[in-house]
Amino acid sequence: MSSLVKCPHCGLRPREEFTIRGEVATPRPDAGADEALWFDHVYLRDNPRGEHREYWHHSGGCRRWLVLTRNTLTHETSDVVDASTLKLGERA
Amino acid sequence: MRDYPLENRGAFPPHVAAGAGASISLAPVKGGFVIHLLGDAKSDEAALKKALAKIAPELGADVRKSAPNQWFWVGDADVSSDRLTEIQAGLPSQFALADQTHGRVRMRLSGPSSRTVLAKGTMVDLSADLFAIGQSAMTQIGHIGAMITRIEDDSFELIVLRSFAGSLWDELNHMAAEFR
Ligand SMILES: [Zn+2]
Repeated sequence: MSSLVKCPHCGLRPREEFTIRGEVATPRPDAGADEALWFDHVYLRDNPRGEHREYWHHSGGCRRWLVLTRNTLTHETSDVVDASTLKLGERA
Repeated sequence: MRDYPLENRGAFPPHVAAGAGASISLAPVKGGFVIHLLGDAKSDEAALKKALAKIAPELGADVRKSAPNQWFWVGDADVSSDRLTEIQAGLPSQFALADQTHGRVRMRLSGPSSRTVLAKGTMVDLSADLFAIGQSAMTQIGHIGAMITRIEDDSFELIVLRSFAGSLWDELNHMAAEFR
């Protein structure tokens, strides 16, 4: 069957219940930062072989935004947290 | 809700009762209310239920968790918008109510085969020992978002957006065909 994701609110759910938004970008550059830095932040995305942090929306369940640490090679998800925890600072 | 000038019409096609001895039955739940309850980050479900039971004892406090700090409050009575305003006024300000009675409908799938039928559409494990009576899960049945609540041993209530109700109804009937 499909890959399974352990939503911190709903438990184990199939990939089909989620909408994937993509890479968790690095923190925003300062407003006056160099244009190249902004270009990188807005447009350039890594495509790593291995661990990757992504935004996933549990659109077919609790409708919360999650941050998922996924291994692109094995599809193993090692860590799934509610995206609101990023605001708390410890994971940003 | 009876006090807006719209025709209150069921979302389902004419209901055909299951034959005697069928191990599955699907039936619409007519009337009643579905109210979306939203709380702030410090919401406590037990305190919410207590508050509802005190403010509106006639409605029961059947709240079904759909997400962190969000619930569907469900019951079989009719609730006027005046009554709803009263209830909102009586609730702690950390909670907000949004009437969804017009937009979400309920149906009941019952019988020994109900789990097998639902398993064709959702991967939430509804086994009796894992999914207790009264427990709810917001999930998808096929591609249709639905909330599943176990209401009796072999009986489940589904809450679905009204515009998807007919489609889910047809799909469940197909899924249940082998048990009729
Ligand atoms: Zn979830």
